[in-house]
Amino acid sequence: MTGSMKLPRRGLLIGAAAVGSVLSAPAKVRSQAAFPSRIVEIVTHAGVGGGTDITARMMMVQAPAVFGQEFTVVNRTAGSGAQALQYVASKPADGHTIILMTQTHILTQLRNPSLPQFADFIPVARATADPHLVLVRRDSPFRTPADLINAGKERSLRFGGTHVGGTDHVVIFAFGRASGIQRPTLVPFRGGGEVVINVVGGNVDTAVVNPGEAEAQLRAGEVRPLISLAETRLEAFADVPTAKELGIDATGYTLRGFCVFKGTPDDRVARLESGLIEAMSGQVYRTYLQNTGQMPESVTGREAWGAQLTQFNRDGREALQALGLLRG
Amino acid sequence: MWTARNPNHTIAVAVAAVAAAAFVGTYWFDPVPPGLPGLGAAEFPRLLCLVLLGLAGLLAMTPGTAPSEGDAPPLDRGAWAVFGICLLFLPALEVIGLWAAIPVFLVAAGLIWGAMPLRILLLNAAGFTLALWVIFAKLFRLTLPTGWLGAALGG
Amino acid sequence: MEGFLGGLAILIDPYVMLMVLLGTVLGIFVGALPGISGSTTIALLLPMTIAMGPIPAICFLGAIYCAANFGGSITAIMVNAPGDPSASATALEGFKMAEKGQAGLALGISAIASAIGGIVSVFVLIVAAPLLARAAYSFGPPEYFAIALFGLSMCAAIGGDSPLKNLIAAVLGLLIATVGMDLTTGIERFSFGIYELSDGIGFVPVLIGLFAVGEMLDQAAKRVGKAQIIHLDAARVPGWAEFKKCNRSIWVGSAVGTFIGVLPALGATTAALIGYNETRRWSKYKHEFGKGSIEGVAGPEAANNAAVGGSMVPTLALGIPGSATTAIILAGLIVQGVRPGPHLFTEQPTLLYAVFASMLAANLFYLVMGLSMAKLFARISLIPPAILWPSVFVLSVIGAYGPNQSMGDVLVMLVAGVVGFLFRRTGFSPAPLIMGLVLGAMVEETLKQSLIIFDDDLAGFLGRPIALTLFALTITGLLWPMVSRLLRGGRAARA
Repeated sequence: MTGSMKLPRRGLLIGAAAVGSVLSAPAKVRSQAAFPSRIVEIVTHAGVGGGTDITARMMMVQAPAVFGQEFTVVNRTAGSGAQALQYVASKPADGHTIILMTQTHILTQLRNPSLPQFADFIPVARATADPHLVLVRRDSPFRTPADLINAGKERSLRFGGTHVGGTDHVVIFAFGRASGIQRPTLVPFRGGGEVVINVVGGNVDTAVVNPGEAEAQLRAGEVRPLISLAETRLEAFADVPTAKELGIDATGYTLRGFCVFKGTPDDRVARLESGLIEAMSGQVYRTYLQNTGQMPESVTGREAWGAQLTQFNRDGREALQALGLLRG
Repeated sequence: MWTARNPNHTIAVAVAAVAAAAFVGTYWFDPVPPGLPGLGAAEFPRLLCLVLLGLAGLLAMTPGTAPSEGDAPPLDRGAWAVFGICLLFLPALEVIGLWAAIPVFLVAAGLIWGAMPLRILLLNAAGFTLALWVIFAKLFRLTLPTGWLGAALGG
Repeated sequence: MEGFLGGLAILIDPYVMLMVLLGTVLGIFVGALPGISGSTTIALLLPMTIAMGPIPAICFLGAIYCAANFGGSITAIMVNAPGDPSASATALEGFKMAEKGQAGLALGISAIASAIGGIVSVFVLIVAAPLLARAAYSFGPPEYFAIALFGLSMCAAIGGDSPLKNLIAAVLGLLIATVGMDLTTGIERFSFGIYELSDGIGFVPVLIGLFAVGEMLDQAAKRVGKAQIIHLDAARVPGWAEFKKCNRSIWVGSAVGTFIGVLPALGATTAALIGYNETRRWSKYKHEFGKGSIEGVAGPEAANNAAVGGSMVPTLALGIPGSATTAIILAGLIVQGVRPGPHLFTEQPTLLYAVFASMLAANLFYLVMGLSMAKLFARISLIPPAILWPSVFVLSVIGAYGPNQSMGDVLVMLVAGVVGFLFRRTGFSPAPLIMGLVLGAMVEETLKQSLIIFDDDLAGFLGRPIALTLFALTITGLLWPMVSRLLRGGRAARA
């Protein structure tokens, strides 16, 4: 029944906006009071239990109280985010369908122009921003960042990362280009854990890894972080210089955050932004961030989140183009 | 006639057809981006297809026996009807949704299967559907297909 | 050890005990349902456990994980629908036993073997985790390539009685594994632009289709109206004689399972399949395999539950999960504040021993429950087929759809069901296909990774002693039947 109500109301909103602010104001108030009026869907490309899925579920614990409405996770796993993007685009843009966007989605969009594109989504709020560290094993000959860079100019370094054309690949490529080393050789692995094992086992020279993925090895001293790809120095790794400090213009984060489809009324985006941030400032989500080694500042509003996505969209396009992975 | 023939011939032809189709399919892969080290994308699948073709050839040359009547009875109309409604289950999910499709399927399949009174089938269908609904939809809160009907009801 | 006794003391708390009990019951239940696995349950319940406090929550999750692995065998044995992928090897012999009217025996030995395998591996975890975990670092792509080859080398032997058909099924499995995006080139293969295929063909839908739907179609073709007259001993549980017969296979399975589990890239499903083959290799009653061998249930069940404890070794001691399943467990533990790594054993002994204690308790709980309920579960075979098999189909559909909420997976399941049906009619076995599918991606990926690491030079393998040893083992395993036949022939000739 709500299904048949949705369209006229949206039409009313647009019409009201066209007539003028005097008329639209009450309409907005009404829609705000009624929003969200049914179950809010969080769409993720991760299967139940995947990292991104868990982020969604952690956020959801305190969201219903904030919004006064139930939340549910929709897993659309196929096509590295392709199906999730299509699913969101197929739903009315009324703020009840939110996508948990990651860099994977952006790369998938770049490689498939027929999908809903980056510009079709409105950033709402960021959920996690997990910085990358460039690290080497304990007995690696690379003692300093300079060792690594100099060696990289002599020969192509072997970097461990996830699959070809994936987020890690783009970050490694961007880092390689900004630091002026030879194009790194990516040794692709199934996941962060395998990457870490192969760094310690000496099968790769180095890797870009989230601190959380290598926490045990970092604390045991099995691996040494050389360069941080965060914007500013990380509290937990205060003596690790950032790439920017070394004159390398590259950053690397694992990003997850919420977006809605274009056409969603602005007041609803604002309501979602403030509400999601409130939900993610709750105890449950904070504990989750803390226990997975992430910073509370990960949670931020649409401005910073949007800027970061735009930046990655640009980096990703350049990298994929240079790597010959863009179709047509 | 049928039992006299070597069933391995038919199997070998089917396997060879799959292998040949897959082999041809590898030529439609996107080109591997230049500058990547190591093996490409098509070599391994092609190797598998060739091995499969070889094995199919070997199989065609080995004598085989058709399964006995008891192990593999010929498919009668009832069997095809069960296969058919299994296939129909998919579009039914899209249209009337999972929770409506399950009881209909259980009753229909039970009737075709035979030897069960309708009353028991209906009871079982209702009870089983309810149990599944409680477990999957309420307890684990999985999102399951609601179909157009469910969507229209605001599901 | 002192810490461990302290850990056992945790269990005295009635609230913790209740959570372990609850987790065990829930674990058996979800394990038995195809499609909802222990890890899915953990992921779904994770947010709710935060309020419990770390120790009860960890005990709850640990119990679910252990019990779900056992639960999978119940549906595998009763209706040939492995409730959990790791139970697929159990279905091979277990369902045959149920058909023979020995469901109670199969269920009982599964509970016993599972518990022993599980408990052995927990003790290995307690005693040697930090030490064993170091081994994970010695296993890179070349070593995993060697293991994958070892696993594949036995494809000809497991399953049906024609090695040729087994090989064909295995290669088909390998071919199916190539569908989707290629890890090392980023190229999509055999996906025809369909997004559902670009992540590859899901293991769970293939498994459910091949076993459960294939069986259902086969039953539909036969359509026996009433339940088969089951022998009176359908509900008989194993006694000392059966246990003695399976003793060896339980230990073989436990050892294989623990070892496979410790290696991060291999999981319980592989452990069970390799366990099945090793059980067969070391069995005195080889001729029973394929016709409902009780050892063929005990071996893989011991192996997949031992893999649970084994897989906790790298998960806890290195913070590195081997599989999607352990990744979820790890996420669950981390969210509860467990900080995995070598220091876990000194820094957070209480939490660590809570994990151990709950796993031990869960193993004992499901042993008792499994044995006492075997009679009840065995009655599933008394349900009239006209009700049972359509219900199995419905469960299969939910099971295939559930994890990824994908209609594509349901379609894959149906196709796999038809393949499973045809397999049954043409004398093929699903076992080698499953093996090929499980190890297929690994064989190709690790070979390509190795070549990248070795700069495209195969001679690089010569510098990897572990890989060379494994290659030698594979060749010995392949040649052993021939050698032993020659030796026996020689001896016979001399006599």
